[in-house]
Amino acid sequence: MTNRVDGPRLVTGAARFSGDHPVDGLAHGYLVLSTIANGTIRSMSADGALAAPGVLAVFTPFNPLRYAGPWAEGPGYFLYGPNRFPLQPGDRQIRHHGQVIGLVVAETFEQARDAAALVETAYDARRPNASFADGIPNAVVPPPLTGPPVVDVLEPRFGSIDAALAASAVTVRASYSQRPEHHNPMEPHTAIAAWDTDGKLTVHSGTQGPLLHAQEIAVAMEVEAESVRVISTYVGGAFGGKASTWPPAVLAAAAARQVRRPVKLALTREQLYSVTGHRPAVVQDVALGAARDGKLLAIKHDCVSTRSNVSSLYNGVSGYSLGVYPTPNVHAGTRVVTLDIPPATIMRAPGEEAGSFGLECAMDELAHELALDPVALRLANDTDHHPTNGGPYSSKHLAECLRVGAARFGWSRRKVQPRSVVEGELLVGYGMAVGVYGANRYEMTMRVSFRNDGTVHVGAATSDMGTGMRTVLSITAADNLGLPLSRVVSVLGDTRLSPDPMPIGAMAGAVGSAGSSSVAPAVRAAAKAATDALILRATQHGRSPFHGLTPEEVSYRDGVLSANGRSVAFGPLLTLMEVDGVTASGTSTPEATPTHAMSSFAAHFCEVRVNRFTGETRVARMTSVVDAGTILNPAAARSQIIGGVVWGLGQALLEGAEVEPATGRIANANFADYLIPTNADIPDIDVHFLNYPDTIFSPTGSRGLGEIGAVGSAAAIANAVFNATGIRARDLPISPDKLLPASEE
Amino acid sequence: MRAFTYTAPSSVEDALAAAGDGSAYLAGGTTLVDLMKLDVMAPSAVLDIGALPLRDIRYDTTGLYIGALAKMSDTAAHPLTATHYPVISQALLQSASPQIRNMASIGGNLLQRTRCGYFRDPATPCNKRTPGSGCPALTGSNRTHAILGTSDACAATHAGDLAVALTALDASVRLRDQSGTRALRLEDFYLLPADTPHLENRLRPGELVIGVTVPALAWAKRSVYVKVRDRHSYEFALTSVAAAIDLRDGVIVDARIAAGGVGTKPWRLPAVEKALKGRPARPDVFKQAAALAAEGARPLPHNGFKPALLRQTVIRALTRLAGRP
Repeated sequence: MTNRVDGPRLVTGAARFSGDHPVDGLAHGYLVLSTIANGTIRSMSADGALAAPGVLAVFTPFNPLRYAGPWAEGPGYFLYGPNRFPLQPGDRQIRHHGQVIGLVVAETFEQARDAAALVETAYDARRPNASFADGIPNAVVPPPLTGPPVVDVLEPRFGSIDAALAASAVTVRASYSQRPEHHNPMEPHTAIAAWDTDGKLTVHSGTQGPLLHAQEIAVAMEVEAESVRVISTYVGGAFGGKASTWPPAVLAAAAARQVRRPVKLALTREQLYSVTGHRPAVVQDVALGAARDGKLLAIKHDCVSTRSNVSSLYNGVSGYSLGVYPTPNVHAGTRVVTLDIPPATIMRAPGEEAGSFGLECAMDELAHELALDPVALRLANDTDHHPTNGGPYSSKHLAECLRVGAARFGWSRRKVQPRSVVEGELLVGYGMAVGVYGANRYEMTMRVSFRNDGTVHVGAATSDMGTGMRTVLSITAADNLGLPLSRVVSVLGDTRLSPDPMPIGAMAGAVGSAGSSSVAPAVRAAAKAATDALILRATQHGRSPFHGLTPEEVSYRDGVLSANGRSVAFGPLLTLMEVDGVTASGTSTPEATPTHAMSSFAAHFCEVRVNRFTGETRVARMTSVVDAGTILNPAAARSQIIGGVVWGLGQALLEGAEVEPATGRIANANFADYLIPTNADIPDIDVHFLNYPDTIFSPTGSRGLGEIGAVGSAAAIANAVFNATGIRARDLPISPDKLLPASEE
Repeated sequence: MRAFTYTAPSSVEDALAAAGDGSAYLAGGTTLVDLMKLDVMAPSAVLDIGALPLRDIRYDTTGLYIGALAKMSDTAAHPLTATHYPVISQALLQSASPQIRNMASIGGNLLQRTRCGYFRDPATPCNKRTPGSGCPALTGSNRTHAILGTSDACAATHAGDLAVALTALDASVRLRDQSGTRALRLEDFYLLPADTPHLENRLRPGELVIGVTVPALAWAKRSVYVKVRDRHSYEFALTSVAAAIDLRDGVIVDARIAAGGVGTKPWRLPAVEKALKGRPARPDVFKQAAALAAEGARPLPHNGFKPALLRQTVIRALTRLAGRP
């Protein structure tokens, strides 16, 4: 177990998040948002706001900010799809409720906020198209996003997936639905933008990918990418919501240029819901066909997702079913309903979170139909090859996850008959599900520097969004260099730390559970490169005791260089040589055409207690067994899985934005009404790692685990609710009213 | 937030004298400051009464007295409350969060405003906030709204838990203004919205809640507060029931039942009480009595589950009190 290297800074408040940096002459911005979802701004009066104390400027479509637009295709386009940015010159169109229509800049935050309330807006309003339910009958197949929206794999004997289902001995069909979900990071998006006299821009902004963020800001400001420095030292949670660039950074930069002052723009909690992205609502229809022994013959997985008219991203969740269970016939289809709603973006386990809910609940329904144990059904459909692309898995131990999990949890005590365990007021049930999340890894370049004070600095521009990346970096460097952790300093979150050009995957930073998997092998490569550079320098420098030797004659071990019986630690050596430090970069690149399929796996087990009178579901305990390769830092890895499982708990029981069909307004856009789990909702979560190194995937053997905890965990809870109550709650969240029919006997 | 003056009167007399048009008393601040930030309330003068000597909790043969400025947490933990009226302690401990309970006062708790999302969003119409502007809740997002005591002007749920327990116990509020002191039964203190939802209680302008009296009721030792909510903590009630029964040899001699989360004010259930009196404490009796709980309910499009949930909550509370889960 390794404690976080930045733990003391984080818990004492010493860590500076983007809004915490002191900047001379700082002015404060506050956004004005639309109160309609569709229409045109007829007029805006800023007179009252401009007359309010401390106000420096009021930007509206009638006094616009100057930045590039319509900014449909920023550098992040292929990752996250285009977003339409607000407050562009002459743009008076309202496309969703809570759209940015004004920015007030004042001397203090309070002055800006109070003046913003004085901006008067007159609209020509139209009824918005905001009802997902009304749009579903006319949903359309969208353009491809990360893969084709419709995939069919059929045996020659079947003309359609329906024919394959019809030929199956047993079929189950069900529809599952969930509302839009919001990331709700602890730190709302906040940016401080400051221009210097040379036209260089520095932006303090919490982001998952500082390099991509800087490029996107540069495009918007119409300046060279090298002119923009992004500092994102600490990030207060992101979960995909800080992967692409949102209005605060761009609008702060544009306003700062126009008022000639540094500007800080912090979103309020309420504003997050419409100014930044969300996970789209989705309805899925899952049909499974199987033989009597449980072997799957056909999977038909269709989904309909919402799509905002200001962004292109949708929630194509059915594709999840292409990569879990082998079956000769599979159909995955996605359609979308485009609505006048705020923009969408990626969110922890995009697609997998909802897709696993549909597939794993349907598997539970199939197990019940077949009178098979749900664990046995998964084992009967286990495979060591990817179900559709056919490649062998680099390292897969899902069956062991299932067996170990069942034993740790006490699965054998589960009663097959639903609603058969009553303890006082409570109905007790067990449920389980599995999760699969593709292992991602990007080309990454890291720098390692031996310093003359005896420390090693390791770093790059990538971000620690709260996951513990800084600690993983330190551990990996310390391990590779044979040094105690206390002598390694990891520096992250500043575009200046990565001066070399990088591919876009690396620029995106910490996304797709690829952070540690990308960084750790690069640190290893950089440590090797830096050691070689240190030795070379020691053989060339006139004051070095190793001067004149060949590099092959000098060895490095645990921070000490040795040759011919002489040993000197690198700190004193560099001091002797009068050199501050020796730095080298190392790059690690994944195979361009992998020969193997690579994924992380998990098995989740859950006990719920449902009040038999009033239907409240409480999760009593969960066990998650995870196969994610080598675990680099068990403490942080455990926290990641717990976090993911808690997300599954929120998905299953609590979360969901309520978009009013008539107005497009989000009715619960605040922390009181959008329910996320409290500590009281979260039980003991038993996390176990199998810890088999996956050296085909990466030299360090570690796969990602930031998202796998959120894949399948909601289904495990819903399946436990069925076991407890006999009710299939297929529409999330599973609130007490949905379990009431069983209660009112 | 709008500009306001802030003063901290040093006595009740000073506070009453300072009160006037547009003034608001500040106790724990957990509702007032919140709503001022949201621009829902905009008092021109804030009178901080936090230091006034209205914090005592005492018990005698006539019952329990709780000073208006006693903190929720102190009241919940007080041995007199916990011993004689468990329903009060339980209602308080299931309210809000520990941080809020440490700040919020009993008087302020009884005056807390509704959690209706339209009331709290000045960008939307609301008859309670802006009389005559309309009520989007009747057709909009209304899953948590009231089913009892509603009108065509307002269906905002009374948000409190403590008030439900106190209503069941026939408690009164003690009120004081410059003309003197008076007491009102809590049931009479709160107003139904009718066509004036902005009027929520019978407080006169400048009048101050100084305390709460709860009549002695020996059998209130057998009392319970059951709160049903989506989330386990820090969440308002979908339904709640405060119940006390006088149980002798398996027979319910007397009963006090009130419901929360369902009414525009705390909702006493006399028909349920009557149906329990003189009957054995048995599941079939509970069910028959609970069937009367939601009489007269007018559900809205998204809270049609509330009558059934209320009946179930009554049965759950009675089952607990009878000691047979």
